[in-house]
Amino acid sequence: IERAAGTLSGHAVVTPVQTCETLDVLAGRKLFFKCENFQKSGSFKFRGAFNAVSELASGSGKSPHRPQIVTYSCGNFGCGLALAAKIQGATAHVVMPNNSAECKKQAVLSYGANLVLCERTPQGKATKLKQVQSETGAVLTSGGEHSDVMAGHGTMGLELLKQVPDLDAVIMPTSSGGMLAGVSTAIKSSRSEVRVFGAEPEMASATADSLRTGERRPLAEDPGSVADGLNGKLGALTWPYIRQNVDGVFTVSEDEIKNAMRLVWERMKLVVEPSGVVGVAAVLS
Amino acid sequence: MSSLAAFSRVSTRRFKINFHLLGVRACGLATMGDGGAGKVTVQDVEKAAGRLAGHARETPVLTCGTLDALAGRKLFFKSENLQKSGSFKFRGAFNAISRLITSANQNPPPVVTHSSGNHACALALAAHQLGVTAHVVMPSTAPQCKKETVRGYGGNVIECVPTEQARVETMERIAQQEGAVYISSSQHPDVISGQGTMALELLRQVPDLDTVITPVGGGGMLAGVSLVMKALNPHIRVYGAEPELANDAATSLAQGKRCPLSYYPETIADGLRINMGPVAWPYIQEHVDDIICVTEDEIKNAMTLIWQRMKLVVEPSGVLGLAAVLSDSFKAREQEAKNVAIILSGGNLDLLKLPELLSL
Repeated sequence: IERAAGTLSGHAVVTPVQTCETLDVLAGRKLFFKCENFQKSGSFKFRGAFNAVSELASGSGKSPHRPQIVTYSCGNFGCGLALAAKIQGATAHVVMPNNSAECKKQAVLSYGANLVLCERTPQGKATKLKQVQSETGAVLTSGGEHSDVMAGHGTMGLELLKQVPDLDAVIMPTSSGGMLAGVSTAIKSSRSEVRVFGAEPEMASATADSLRTGERRPLAEDPGSVADGLNGKLGALTWPYIRQNVDGVFTVSEDEIKNAMRLVWERMKLVVEPSGVVGVAAVLS
Repeated sequence: MSSLAAFSRVSTRRFKINFHLLGVRACGLATMGDGGAGKVTVQDVEKAAGRLAGHARETPVLTCGTLDALAGRKLFFKSENLQKSGSFKFRGAFNAISRLITSANQNPPPVVTHSSGNHACALALAAHQLGVTAHVVMPSTAPQCKKETVRGYGGNVIECVPTEQARVETMERIAQQEGAVYISSSQHPDVISGQGTMALELLRQVPDLDTVITPVGGGGMLAGVSLVMKALNPHIRVYGAEPELANDAATSLAQGKRCPLSYYPETIADGLRINMGPVAWPYIQEHVDDIICVTEDEIKNAMTLIWQRMKLVVEPSGVLGLAAVLSDSFKAREQEAKNVAIILSGGNLDLLKLPELLSL
């Protein structure tokens, strides 16, 4: 994670931490909001994507060809990867469900990546991924199942420890678990007394269920939460870190997510997507 | 006899009641302690900064590569939508009430204003934080969320029929009844020096700053920011940005005399409908290099860019600076502007109206 921080330096934004007295009063505690909506490509995913592309590019340094990377993404990881690839002179292929948010499709295209739409089914995804790999030789880089991605995301934990000196707890949305795995590792490695929590929609509570039973549990197919970025499966690679480092996962209703979104837009004046406010919803629950 | 009590009685009985005139009288008599009704100086702004420290936010300056590319220069966005109460107005309101408390010895008077917008929220919050009662006269047609916000900040809302005359008369009645001091949203010197504190921050936050642009409504912000910039670094160019539909400040600058509009203009930039006021005007005339006018479509386009690319909630009035910088006329004229600070003045708007305000 520290090495990833070096790789990201000068490329990823060290995003500001914002506060809001109204929300402190509602929560009954001091809240510090790490604003990854301000991150390059509009989400924290850029961190993991950039680190992964960098490791790939340095690994294939002798090759005359541009490194080719492919991923399957509901949105943000695809955008992050597209931008990271553009900056580093690699080619990104993003396989995205055809009913993804239009703005996410447009963002991928605007960053110069190759957008490949697929059916929002496991078969649709697998078919297209295989097709791109065989046609281009692109390396598969999963948004959740890659240690370089986890390390990149973990850099947020390092920044938080510096930006909020008396930190005693951290909470973040979780789905495939890349952010939760990386950040919990960063935090617990240097300050094990800081509590680390995940936050999930009730409708997509795979991580909460897994922690409760001690076994990685599958997610229902397309749970359909308004938090459209959190409909992914808890990954096999991220699960061990989460099981070891995470103190708990809170679940919130769709209404709680919408209420939190309204508060963040109206009181904090920040444009944050539904998935992005699930931590806020959890803190207010 | 406290001069404040004298002011309250004198202002409501002796002088002809007129929105801008009342502002002038209020300014003249309420400026105490620093040599009476004098010009606002950089020293006043520096003192204001001292009063605001620990209360108002030193808001961040944010950047966006995409917008730099569109503008052809480096843009630095001073994010006053993140200020307490959701707009820069908190600075002026807090400074004005602070000074009132200092000069009152004991038992500071309540404050009163009439506003349906950001000044109402700012004054209510500042008063609450300073332990003073705020009376805010709001037209009955003001958005419900604004009335609730003012009440939520501890302000006392008095509704009136939605005419200029009713607002002013109701305010005067309250001022007399409650012994309250009128704090204008843009024409009070302490408000102007409060707004000027943004310029002090910008000079620290943006090295090699060469240009600053702010929206202009009543002119308090542009007056305060421009006087500081020109006093501390006269090479910095200072611009105002106005809707074409409410272009009284631009017209005034061009004509060399204040030319208020005689009607209430229709623009989605609802915070900028009021005329540039008589107290702000001399500062603007002396210090501002130009005022750029933009169309309603240019405002909507700037809104869309800021919401979608910068992920900031900014109200239409607040994006005027970006709209101006992206306009053809700015691009044609300002070849030398390399490091441009744009003040995003506020983020208070009714989210339900959003689809009408964006160009999607």
